[in-house]
Amino acid sequence: MLQLKNLSRIYQSNEVETVALDQVNIDIEKGEFVAIMGPSGCGKSTLLSIIGMLDKASDGQYIFDDEDVSGYSEAQLSQIRKHHIGFIFQSFNLIDELTVEENIELALLYHNIPADERKQKVAKVMDKVGIAHRAQHMPSQLSGGQQQRVAVARAVVGNQSMILADEPTGNLDSAHGQEVMEMLQALNEEGTTIVMVTHSPSHADYAHRTINLFDGHVVTQSIRQAS
Amino acid sequence: MLKNYLLTAWRNIIKNGMFSAINILGLALGLMSCILITLFVREETGYDKWLPDSERVVRMHSAYINPGSQPFLTVRSAGNMMEAVRDYATNEVEQGVRLIQFGASVIQKQDVTAERITFVDPAFFNVFDLPFVYGSKETSFKKPLDLVITEEMAIKYFGKTDVVGQTLTVCCAGPEPSELTVTGVIKDLPKATHLNLDLVIFVLPSIIENNPGLSSWTSVNVYTYFKMREGVSIDEFQQRLTYWVDNESPLSEGLEPGRKVSHNMKHKLMPLEDLHLHAKKDAGNLGDLSPLGDASMINAFSVIAGLILLIACINFMNLATARASQRAREVAMRKVLGASRQQVTIQFLGEAIALVFISLLVALVLVELVLPIYNQALDSELELALFSDPTLLIAIIVIGLVVGLGAGIYPAVYLSRFLPGHILKSNKSTESGRTSGFRTFLVVFQFTASISLVICTVVIYAQTHFAQFVDVGYNSDNKMVLAINRARDKRESLRQELLNLPEIKSVVFSSEAPTQDNENNSFFTLLGSSQSDDASTNQMSNQGQLLNLHNMDYGFFEAYDVAPIAGRLFDQKFGSDEVTSVETGQHAGAASAVLNQSALAKLGFNSAQEAIGRTVAANIRGQQHFKIVGVIPDIYFRSIKFGVRPTIYMLNPQRLNVASISFNTNNPAQLRTQIEQVWKKHVPMQPINLQFLDSMMAAQYNDERIQTRLFSAFSILAILIACLGLYGLAAFTTERRTKEIGIRKVMGARVRDIVGLLIWQFSKPVLIANLVAWPIASFAMIGWLENFSYRINPLWLIPICLAVGTLLLLIAWATVGTNAASVARANPINALRQD
Ligand SMILES: Nc1ncnc2c1ncn2[C@@H]1O[C@H](COP(=O)(O)OP(=O)(O)OP(=O)(O)O)[C@@H](O)[C@H]1O
Ligand SMILES: [Mg+2]
Repeated sequence: MLQLKNLSRIYQSNEVETVALDQVNIDIEKGEFVAIMGPSGCGKSTLLSIIGMLDKASDGQYIFDDEDVSGYSEAQLSQIRKHHIGFIFQSFNLIDELTVEENIELALLYHNIPADERKQKVAKVMDKVGIAHRAQHMPSQLSGGQQQRVAVARAVVGNQSMILADEPTGNLDSAHGQEVMEMLQALNEEGTTIVMVTHSPSHADYAHRTINLFDGHVVTQSIRQAS
Repeated sequence: MLKNYLLTAWRNIIKNGMFSAINILGLALGLMSCILITLFVREETGYDKWLPDSERVVRMHSAYINPGSQPFLTVRSAGNMMEAVRDYATNEVEQGVRLIQFGASVIQKQDVTAERITFVDPAFFNVFDLPFVYGSKETSFKKPLDLVITEEMAIKYFGKTDVVGQTLTVCCAGPEPSELTVTGVIKDLPKATHLNLDLVIFVLPSIIENNPGLSSWTSVNVYTYFKMREGVSIDEFQQRLTYWVDNESPLSEGLEPGRKVSHNMKHKLMPLEDLHLHAKKDAGNLGDLSPLGDASMINAFSVIAGLILLIACINFMNLATARASQRAREVAMRKVLGASRQQVTIQFLGEAIALVFISLLVALVLVELVLPIYNQALDSELELALFSDPTLLIAIIVIGLVVGLGAGIYPAVYLSRFLPGHILKSNKSTESGRTSGFRTFLVVFQFTASISLVICTVVIYAQTHFAQFVDVGYNSDNKMVLAINRARDKRESLRQELLNLPEIKSVVFSSEAPTQDNENNSFFTLLGSSQSDDASTNQMSNQGQLLNLHNMDYGFFEAYDVAPIAGRLFDQKFGSDEVTSVETGQHAGAASAVLNQSALAKLGFNSAQEAIGRTVAANIRGQQHFKIVGVIPDIYFRSIKFGVRPTIYMLNPQRLNVASISFNTNNPAQLRTQIEQVWKKHVPMQPINLQFLDSMMAAQYNDERIQTRLFSAFSILAILIACLGLYGLAAFTTERRTKEIGIRKVMGARVRDIVGLLIWQFSKPVLIANLVAWPIASFAMIGWLENFSYRINPLWLIPICLAVGTLLLLIAWATVGTNAASVARANPINALRQD
């Protein structure tokens, strides 16, 4: 699915240089479920945003679906992103002024899909994540777990082949966290590639493989033993 | 997509109720001001443009230039000019027409009604193609004294408009009433024309031929219009006219070689479409057919409209960018989901435009509500005819779009700049020091504009007030002015009978009452001095000094409480004061004259005493020698706007036009009725023209009063809008600083300290704005005051600036303070708990 070769990301701010990622090499296969772990500030979110094409590397190569996208422009990256990559955030990032249904539909708005087809897709995905009965609610009326389910629905409604999740369970209690993990697992079983940042070893256990980052370096890659 | 944008926009408006209300109210007030001013400006600039072929019609103005004195300016011209120019410049001129306007009366049974009649040449309707209701331009004006009237007149005198063939008894120049036949009825003229027509009459040629004031090359008593041929420019025509005046006109005959008529006498053409706004500078004291507009006022109000809109737009920009961090997440999320920056920009622009159009609707309602008051203040009949007037509708929509784009573009670009990557860095403030600095700059700009406006308003008010209450030099209390120019022969009997009324103290006659000016000027030569001995040897080339001339009867100065500073006033017991006619060839007549102080210098006297007993010569009803018997102080007979001119006063019974009636009564209305009865008895065929002097004097300042009213209203609006914005910004800032305030309170800060902290934050821009506004406004107002010969001391600007600055600072404090106080008083725990 993607390969990172000698990839670095250096933040330059007010004469201070922060090396967030240093010569990282990572391969992720289609259909894989990868967890990324590591202490706070080690570069996990930075890595995820580069994979998600929200940020660009300072150095190194990024090959996505056999295409070297390192030199691509914002607009080109945006095109790839919107067709292939879905995001889930710790803080849900739902738009407060839109209902559940409209929030999910938002992911299709920039895709040139006719309105009735959009409606169908949204209804289907809401069923799938079990939020259909809340379609007309505003995000503020939902619990954290429900909000995250909406976020998951939004991430997959456009048939994205890869989902990037940054601490998706960080703001949830363990029961709701479990729920979200099961949802991700189900998606993965249907073939979606999943890359997830987490601090919870038990949630990392859902993944096929865990990448440990430390201070911008990949320290270990452990493969889960078939249980 | 659109639906989604609209939903987000709408819910944002609802959710941020207060901010939306501030934005909508601010923009609505701004748009209302702009629409009101647009209506006014549109009407003022649209004068006469609706007339067919208006771009080809020009009017000839005259100016007499006499080195050493104020030029004599008028929009009229000499009666002989029109035909001569028309017949000479045949390549340029298609038609020419003269207008002569008189006050006259229409007699119906026993009723006499004052009307304005306009004598015109028969080509009138070829130059001014006015729409006829009955008759036509071809069928009316077939013969002299044919009458065309407006619908309003037709209804007034006949009760219907289909009155072609009926007759009306009109009493005009002479005492004999004449029966005139109506040959056409025209539509009532709209307000937007300088023409002022009720009864239009094909002038009888003998009226012009027998009147030396009308059949003249130099006496300016008629309004002359030309319709130029198609394709002729006004410059070409003007050149041709000046050439003719200098080289081929009767005016140029007998001039010394090298001298040109145009050195002393200008004939200037002005396009019809410019008359309303630009004729003022050519009009002198005689005025025009109808009240003239003022181009500089139009410019000033256009600028004000722009400023107010800008202030309202800045509110929107400031509140939108201040709240940007609230929407940063939405922007980032949209971008994560594939929106381009362009799409996000368009979304925010759309939101701005939507908000502006909501405000526009509110503004239109407000305009409808305030239009009656506005019309009253402006003395106009403006209306908001949105649907019958597509250009107005388009103009208003364009204003809405421009404001929407103007207000929306900066926030849209600013908001759409958030990068999607930021979304992963939770809760990092997106506010940079640069943007809050820019907001402060905008607030400074808003307050600079408002403070400048207020300073200008106060200065204009002070100057107007000052002008109205300055000592004019005579006692204008308890006086009425009665026109007697149509009853000169009856004036003595009128006076006697009026004096029988116990309330009436005196009745004195004069050529003009205060506020009136007939622009009567003559040349006077001082006799018997060394200079004038030189002059008398060369009498032909030395015309003497041009003095303003006022005529009066005995007792005039006494009635107005004017005392001489040297010599005496006119007095019957000397028996030698009056002017009597002198035939040509006879010895010069002898009479007395009184000078004002300004005339002393003009005639070369060093003191008032020096002038007494000296003689000036002039040609008034024949060659006359006037002995100077007295000198009075300078009195402001006209509006003090015009200053005082060197003036000579004399007793010329032929020139008396008005009676000044001094009275002493508690019931002026009743006295008025009594005077009317006396008039009716003596002059039954003429309508009475009686006015209170104080209202005549107040009317001189109408323009200024309207200007001050508008300036005050619009500067209050500007402040209101700016304060709305400041309130919003303050509310937002305190909202964001609740946590900080809570911590400070826990640390022991008092409510006072916290309110002070917040107020100081918002005082800074207002203080800076003062420093910028003071010099700008002072500079502008010193320039404006230069227009007045009598003006307030510019040093007054210093206290005015300080006072306005303090006032605005207090208003700003009150605005910010109310909000800050409630936040500061809240329990800190509440603020800290929320997270
Ligand atoms: N915009 C930025 N400018 C400068 N430095 C940054 C920026 N964003 C991140 N960093 C730095 O880069 C490093 C990696 O940050 P990153 O957010 O990727 O860490 P993380 O592993 O996601 O941490 P956490 O688990 O706390 O979310 C940190 O040292 C951080 O301070
Ligand atoms: Mg992180």
